[in-house]
Amino acid sequence: MAFNYDKYLRLEKMPTLWCWGCGDGVILKAFVRAVDKLGLNKDDICVVSGIGCSGRFSSYVDFNTVHTTHGRTVAFATGIKLANPDKHVICVGGDGDTLAIGGNHTIHGARRNIDITFIIINNFIYGLTNSQTSPTTPQGMWTVSQKAGNIDPTFNATNLGIAAGASFVARESMLDPKKLEKVFVKALEHKGFAFLDILSNCHINLGRKNKMQSAMANLEWIDSITISKKKYDALPEEERLNLLPTGILKDDKVVREYCDMYQEIKDVHQGKRSKITQDDFEKKI
Amino acid sequence: MASAMIEYPGDVPVWVNTDNCKACDLCVSVCPSGVLGMVYETTSTLGAMISVNNPESCIGCNECELSCPDFAIYVANKKEFKFAKLTDDSKARQEKIIANNYMSLDIQGVK
Repeated sequence: MAFNYDKYLRLEKMPTLWCWGCGDGVILKAFVRAVDKLGLNKDDICVVSGIGCSGRFSSYVDFNTVHTTHGRTVAFATGIKLANPDKHVICVGGDGDTLAIGGNHTIHGARRNIDITFIIINNFIYGLTNSQTSPTTPQGMWTVSQKAGNIDPTFNATNLGIAAGASFVARESMLDPKKLEKVFVKALEHKGFAFLDILSNCHINLGRKNKMQSAMANLEWIDSITISKKKYDALPEEERLNLLPTGILKDDKVVREYCDMYQEIKDVHQGKRSKITQDDFEKKI
Repeated sequence: MASAMIEYPGDVPVWVNTDNCKACDLCVSVCPSGVLGMVYETTSTLGAMISVNNPESCIGCNECELSCPDFAIYVANKKEFKFAKLTDDSKARQEKIIANNYMSLDIQGVK
């Protein structure tokens, strides 16, 4: 028997509202398989999603779910995680959701290194609202808001995650669902902020006007701009310009997690320890 | 809907829940051995539906199941079904299917 997704899904919501060939469904399936592989209890998982096509993610999975406001996934998830430190909290957002509207929440969630699995479904466009320029839209592409061609420089999401202090940073595309599943397993097991930039396709709203009308054409383009981290590192500097490295880009197990530190604040107020001082931290500034 | 997955019908390598299929061609594009193809279907939104044309060539690689976004296609596991080996014939057929716009080889035209 093939893998049965049914026990993790809200079947009354099926079939999904996503367009035909949308990568979001592939990512959803890989996530469900990763949860199954780890043998997690459904009640121990909370999926928090924002607004956008990726926001539908929480509607289809039968875990504890919160469908929050635009870009505020990390804000909600931080509260959920601090109140329930033993549960797995997963944030799902799109590229516009997490990098533009919720950019501030994203970087401060990463800075705190709170134990959240943060999934960016990066399809290079605001798909739900019909192709406005998002922070990751490649320069020169047609969008509704920049009909002469997009001139805005693009965001490299994983570099943002590394710089902001996330302890686990990875990029993967939905072209390889098996790798995607492995990355989800590692991210869920990781204690700390797991920042995942998952490349997906939007052949409807990005591809239609940019010569990628079918899902396959869009995926071929994604394939052409991604390269494994190993090969990327071996390339000379000038050839790296238009490539995005995939794989695990940062995995820091030493840095302290926010819920653990928050427990010490609780201990201070409960009189179990003295006040926190600079001596408690290795990295002070 | 009661379930996304249809019970294993027995003695087939691949089976499809046509209620969920949106005819996106992804499974056809990833198949290495030309098992799948699209056929015309007037009741479907895109006017096409997936069809399992050459089940005897299926190698059980699971690629179609993993890349289906809509929980529509399922592959038997290796204990239930004896899968074929990948042959040059099936590779050539897959290339023809892709050249035929992912439609089954006996159908001409586009979706």
